Amino acid sequence: MSITFDDLREAAKDCLVTAGSSYTPDRLAAYEQAARKEKKENARWFLELILENARIAQREKLPLCDDTGVPHVLVRLGTDCVLPAGWLEAIREGVAAGLRTLPGRPMAVKGDGIQRVEQSQGLFENSDALEHAPVIMRSVPGDKLNLAVLMLGGGPEIRARTRRIFHKRSMEKVIGEVVEWLSEEVLLLGCTPSIPAIGIGRSQVEASALMLEAMADGDVSKQNEWEQKVVAAVNGTHVGPLGLGGDYTVMGCFLKIGPTRASGVRIVTARPCCLVEPRVGKAILA
Amino acid sequence: MLTINTPLKKEDVAKFRVGDQITLVGRILCGRDAVLPKIVKMLEAKDPKVKDMRLAGSVIFHTAVSPAGIGPTSSNKVEIEGSIPGLSAGGVLMHLGKGALKPETVEAMRVHGACFAVTPPTTALFAYRTTSQKVLAFPEEGMEALYEVEVTGLPVIIAAVNGETMFAK
Repeated sequence: MSITFDDLREAAKDCLVTAGSSYTPDRLAAYEQAARKEKKENARWFLELILENARIAQREKLPLCDDTGVPHVLVRLGTDCVLPAGWLEAIREGVAAGLRTLPGRPMAVKGDGIQRVEQSQGLFENSDALEHAPVIMRSVPGDKLNLAVLMLGGGPEIRARTRRIFHKRSMEKVIGEVVEWLSEEVLLLGCTPSIPAIGIGRSQVEASALMLEAMADGDVSKQNEWEQKVVAAVNGTHVGPLGLGGDYTVMGCFLKIGPTRASGVRIVTARPCCLVEPRVGKAILA
Repeated sequence: MLTINTPLKKEDVAKFRVGDQITLVGRILCGRDAVLPKIVKMLEAKDPKVKDMRLAGSVIFHTAVSPAGIGPTSSNKVEIEGSIPGLSAGGVLMHLGKGALKPETVEAMRVHGACFAVTPPTTALFAYRTTSQKVLAFPEEGMEALYEVEVTGLPVIIAAVNGETMFAK
């Protein structure tokens, strides 16, 4: 058995539809628990609406949110994995098919570079005109291809930051500064509860890629010590669901630390994912 | 929970309190970054075409309208929040979206008797609570055009009214 062009295209399509229309089981369970425990009436009402929306979206394969997001593709490629010719094109075709199926919001901007910046030529009417972001790839042992398609919405994008932190050889210092950013941004985000995704690396590109991996792999039921610290600190703001106050400003935190620079600086990307994120669909092909 | 039919009346809004849960029924307008500043410019220029939008007592939902559905975008984006004072002066009584607004925006709404409400991005649920949609203006903006949508029960929470806001720290 080997991976075919069609296998890869279908997997990318299915991953995109899954990402846009369903929560991972760990997050669904966390929302159910929050809806039972939240003491503030408006916040509890809102959490129940999230669950009703999730049930309808999963049953009908409808988008969880109208901002269906910009597709991002993560490939973890086994060193012994054999791929068909044109495999990146298969992923591109699969993403386009997924956008037609979900359907994705038709939000590709027309025109040349300047026209796109100024949004002066309007938008494409077809969902599949939206290109995926450049593929992030990593080599891993084995003979399989791990594919993840993530849909990144605009609200968290406005509130995300990539910056340097002078760490003073202290994880407390780094995480403390990230918590300060996140505590400012969650109030403006609107779509709380959030799950902050954090990448720590040597460059802005690397930190962002690590953040994307954190979004793909994170599990709110398996939180390490530092993720728990972020959750406790940001929940201390009591912004609450939709900014209504309450105990659930964030539902978890996904942190990934990569190589670090021999220097007094760490580069950190922190994205306060909104209540439908991380939207991720995954497949393993062999 | 209170059910309110649109268009709103100023006396309805005056009775709202921060934290009130309301279900909206009837005609709402949908517009966001691309078209709200254009409507404000039309109001300032006394453009007669603005009458066709029937802004008096209206609800403007900060959302795109597309085959993917509807759901709130961030109301504190520059072009949206910057349009709220002008639209309130033009007769809009409820601005509907998400995220905290600046104190000066809350004050501008108070002056004109308007309010701000938030609603969750529950797009799949909204699909069952909208009965029709049509483009009213600026079709060249695609999903960001000004739309008129009929809703049968849109759940919202009042976030700012009468100079009070739930976002005050």
